[in-house]
Amino acid sequence: MTNRLKNIKPIAQKVGDVKNSIFITVIALLGITLLLDIFVVEKIFNPLTYLYIVLGILFVRYGIPLLYTSRRLIQYYWQRASRNKLAVGGLAFILFLILLALIGPLFTADPTAVNFEEKNLPPPGFTLEESVYDLKTGQFITNRITGTTQHPLGTDDKGRDLLAMIISGARVSLQVGLFATGIAIALGTLIGVTAAYLGGKMDNVLMRFTDIMMTFPFFLLLVFIVFIFGPNLALIVIVIGLTGWTGTARLIRSETLSLRTREFIMASKALGASDGRIILSHLIPNVISLIIVIATLSIPGVILAEAALSFIGLGDPTVASWGMILKAGQQNLDTTWWVAVAPGIMLFLTVLAFNFLGDGLRDAFDPRSNV
Amino acid sequence: MEKLKILVLLSMIAILITGSCQVAQETKGVYISGTSAGDAETLNWILAADSASLGYVGHTLDSLATYDNEWNIQLRCAARDVEVSEDGLVYTVTIRDDLKWSDGSPVTAEDYVYTLKDLMFSDWLNYTYQSDWQEQVNDETVFVTPEVVNKTTFTITRQTVDPEFIYTVRNLTPYPKYIATKYEGDIDAFTQAPEFNNLTYTGNLGPYKFVEWIRNDKFVVERNPEYYLGKDISAPYFEQYIVKLFGTPATCHAALEAGDIAYAGIDPPHVAKFKAIERINVYTVPTTGYLLLAYNLRDNGWEGLKQKEVRQALSMAISKELLIEKVLFGFGEPAYSFIPKPSPWYVYIATAKYGVEPLLDEEKAKERLLETGYATQRADGSIEVADKEGKPLKLTLVTNSGNDIRENVGHLVKEELSAIGIEVELKFVPWATELRKYLMNKVPGTEQELGYNNGPRAVSEEPWDLMVMGFNTHPLSPSGQDVFYATQGGLNFWGYSNSRVDELFQRIKSEEALDEGVRKQLYAELSQLVAEEQPVNFLAFQLANAGFQKNVKGIEPGINMGYNYHLWYFE
Amino acid sequence: MKKTWLRDYIIKRLLLAIFIAWAVLTITFVLVRVGPTSPADKYLANLTARGQDAAQVVAAIEARYGVDIPIYEQYINYIVNLGRGDWGWSLSTSMPVMELIKTHWIYSFQLIFLSSILAALIGILIGIYSAVRQYSKTDYIATFFSFIGISIPNFWLGVMLILLFSVKLGLFKTYYDTGIPLFSLANLQQLILPVITLGTGMMAAYTRYTRSAMLDNLRKEFVRTARAKGLPERTVIGKHVFRNAILPLITIIMFDLGSIVFGGAYLTEIIFGIPGLGQISFNAIFADDYAVVVAVTVISAFLILMINLITDITYTYLDPRIRYD
Repeated sequence: MTNRLKNIKPIAQKVGDVKNSIFITVIALLGITLLLDIFVVEKIFNPLTYLYIVLGILFVRYGIPLLYTSRRLIQYYWQRASRNKLAVGGLAFILFLILLALIGPLFTADPTAVNFEEKNLPPPGFTLEESVYDLKTGQFITNRITGTTQHPLGTDDKGRDLLAMIISGARVSLQVGLFATGIAIALGTLIGVTAAYLGGKMDNVLMRFTDIMMTFPFFLLLVFIVFIFGPNLALIVIVIGLTGWTGTARLIRSETLSLRTREFIMASKALGASDGRIILSHLIPNVISLIIVIATLSIPGVILAEAALSFIGLGDPTVASWGMILKAGQQNLDTTWWVAVAPGIMLFLTVLAFNFLGDGLRDAFDPRSNV
Repeated sequence: MEKLKILVLLSMIAILITGSCQVAQETKGVYISGTSAGDAETLNWILAADSASLGYVGHTLDSLATYDNEWNIQLRCAARDVEVSEDGLVYTVTIRDDLKWSDGSPVTAEDYVYTLKDLMFSDWLNYTYQSDWQEQVNDETVFVTPEVVNKTTFTITRQTVDPEFIYTVRNLTPYPKYIATKYEGDIDAFTQAPEFNNLTYTGNLGPYKFVEWIRNDKFVVERNPEYYLGKDISAPYFEQYIVKLFGTPATCHAALEAGDIAYAGIDPPHVAKFKAIERINVYTVPTTGYLLLAYNLRDNGWEGLKQKEVRQALSMAISKELLIEKVLFGFGEPAYSFIPKPSPWYVYIATAKYGVEPLLDEEKAKERLLETGYATQRADGSIEVADKEGKPLKLTLVTNSGNDIRENVGHLVKEELSAIGIEVELKFVPWATELRKYLMNKVPGTEQELGYNNGPRAVSEEPWDLMVMGFNTHPLSPSGQDVFYATQGGLNFWGYSNSRVDELFQRIKSEEALDEGVRKQLYAELSQLVAEEQPVNFLAFQLANAGFQKNVKGIEPGINMGYNYHLWYFE
Repeated sequence: MKKTWLRDYIIKRLLLAIFIAWAVLTITFVLVRVGPTSPADKYLANLTARGQDAAQVVAAIEARYGVDIPIYEQYINYIVNLGRGDWGWSLSTSMPVMELIKTHWIYSFQLIFLSSILAALIGILIGIYSAVRQYSKTDYIATFFSFIGISIPNFWLGVMLILLFSVKLGLFKTYYDTGIPLFSLANLQQLILPVITLGTGMMAAYTRYTRSAMLDNLRKEFVRTARAKGLPERTVIGKHVFRNAILPLITIIMFDLGSIVFGGAYLTEIIFGIPGLGQISFNAIFADDYAVVVAVTVISAFLILMINLITDITYTYLDPRIRYD
């Protein structure tokens, strides 16, 4: 028995070593590119690209093996979750949204293309009466503007196609929602599991730190960091990620506390597995269902936070986000109402979809829990 | 000259007579003025650096004089206009003898001189606009010298001549010496002084008295029955005057439409709607603001911009009338220099009018670029704009995000320049970023601190070529624009330098310009020169629209519409 | 027995709260000052209007804001003043920070108070009804609407309410009037739309929490016993089930308050032009008014800590079995 284990371990280690060295090389290469970017050349990538690459690598290195080891579990839970029609509907909408964000821009006009000749076009079927001042005669002329099918959702006061802007906004919302949540969940899980597993002083320090972070008025903090350092999407994603992990850490910690004394953990400890290894390959896979539920249910909050930031004028001015369109629409609420309505509905449906899905997943994992 | 003085005097008397003949109106109602421009910072006006603060205080505290819509002087606290000595160095101010602080003590020349000497010029107070009262003597910056003559008279003596200094003097308001001495030397105590923050000292110095200021909500003043200008005619006629703040222009417009407020400024896209409302009068009035397209003439801008002909060519490709129609909804006037039409120094004739016919021509623009070498001619005669290496031209246009008008100008410029084959990349950045990365500059490789004009070799951190901006100019003293257009100008961040322009600015501030005819000539030459030189592309002077409820009477629409607001009344 | 441990516990928690508040203060204090922005930035637009020497004005304004001395000196000054109960002077509104908060908290409070009371009342009632009639049509409708309620972005809801009721129908004003007395019908009327804006999400959340807490308890043994004893259904639900469900509910409601105050309520104030603390703090951020930003952050953090403490203490009275060590 022990002999067999001894034989297996080195092989597993070797595979792990290879994986690790690839991982480290890729991270190092990326670091070099970043340094080059900062000190030598300008703009190899946009700052967000780095974030995506790092998150992508982390996902390939840790996420996929994790999901792979728990595939049976996931399959089982999906069967249970798929009985919930609302959850399936939510998932379908999210997939549709991702598809829209990925390939939608290929089929729509340029969301930044300004055309003053076509401004304030209502959606087809609606008309808008607009008076304009004629420079030459000093008279006011009243125009009746009718929507065309060329702009299915109408245009804004700069003549930009609202549908194209909405699709571009979907990109922004999903980016922020997925990546900021990704950072927050990863941090929260790591801190929660570490605190619970190590216990004692470490637990105390980490949890006090969590308390401090929790008492910060989150939105206020977000507003002033973004104001101070300038609104750009990467910063918004990172700040939301770095401040939004506290709830996750607490939930994961209490879940892990009960795991820590279970036999299989004790056993691998006895076999000399390192703390890092136990945390990564034993503890985290056992709380993965909770992680997925928390992630799904935190995405809406993150999306709304970004939209709210844009709404008060702190969104990234280089991309059209739903919050920003909504803000622009609010300025001309009495005439071009459709500009405010469309992004709000999308925001609402997206949040609703994530809530449905998260709720379904939670019921599937544990019908009686209240995350 | 003598004749002119008599004429001015006569017209002043006429105004004074009509002023005092004003029929007394019934006092009634609360006048609410709506705005979405943001709140003031302080009522302790000497510390203020924002216009809202000065606006609030202005309701309770008159300056020495103001101007009507035709720039005729309107005396306020001054008993007669500021007298300038023949040599242009001594300014004599005579104030009214019936001005009182709240404790009943008279306002004297001593208060004015104290305000200047011990507050504005002091080291401890950090008065923001000290440079208004400074002059350059032998390469040294010194303050002017105020002196009390008697109870109601004081003089201000300069060592150098500046014909436009009189406008600064006329603007002066006093602090009460008897209160201010308590806080002298202690900036914190002065900042927090209850008398200054609650305007409890203003006596009969303004048409209104302070009531309350709810931050981010409203500023309330009530009728001052002792107002020195209201003695015989029992002005002002509103019981209360309220400045009400709104979060967005849309809510402000809605309140005007609903009749909840008496006045609000109306944004260009909504003017037509308000013109159609029976109960509301909309007046279109000139403003002092102008839109411009700045060129980066420093080393990190496109080098072609350094040539006058290239700048002229770009201006020929951008239609000012189209811009006014599309971006300002018709509410603008083409600009050719920084001197606006309502200015007494405005010259219409002989100015080169780039951006309108006939100096609006894509083909001519291309030809001019060809002459400078920034284009190549094809076999069929067509001209293709390109840089010296023959590659297509690509310029970066920067403006601050969140300002709709400037963003729209950017979009339009992009469209117009692409018509002559120049590609424009738009960059909308937050105001703070624009300041730090694009405006402020320093000589690369040095430890120099960032500044707005660090000499000809300084460059900004980020490169740029074009920038949409909006500036204000003072119609009475446009020479203040030397901060932008003179080589040494403190805000000349784009690095423009022309010795003739520098010289003209200097001459306007010299003895010869004491003669108004000469000054007008100098201004004429300056405006022709900048119209030809195109240091920036002057785009348009903006017009404002003021919406009033119809029952507000006594308004004289114009650039200084509020000058007689103590005579307004509700019908 | 209980008293001593409870007292020790409260003292311990209070000390911890003070430590956390200090940490929050220090972090905020440093954060507001390390950014590249300067309080002088916003004046530049105005400077250009008057043609001023930019460098001189910037220096004057930075001196006035006290940012021209080293940061540790600023910090020591701040802490010393704080020890004397002086929260500083708000340079963007020209009044003491404390007085600013004192005059404006009521506008935020009335909005939050009305919304949370109404949301809790209606939400809990619907939740109970929904749980008792589980799987009925009413339950489905209530569940569905509660999903909509928690998913609707409240700032968008506010904009839509203004569009519909103020702009199109003209039933309400589009702005808030502080001239109306606080305790008057007119004030209640102008608060209707803001309260709906802020309260909808809360109400939906409380409905869901109540429903699931009630369902948890309905399945329990003692309910069956109570029913078997022949107690009327009303007594069973009201006395037994609800009393047990209320405990987790209180935690959730209290916990929510923190995030509501600093998220939803602030946005609601901005949309409806209510001059509450939310508007004040946002303006302070945009104006680089450091004293206000730090004070608002620290005070609100301390409030959250206190609310948590009070919740925990209330627990011990509602459920005597609970003991904290």
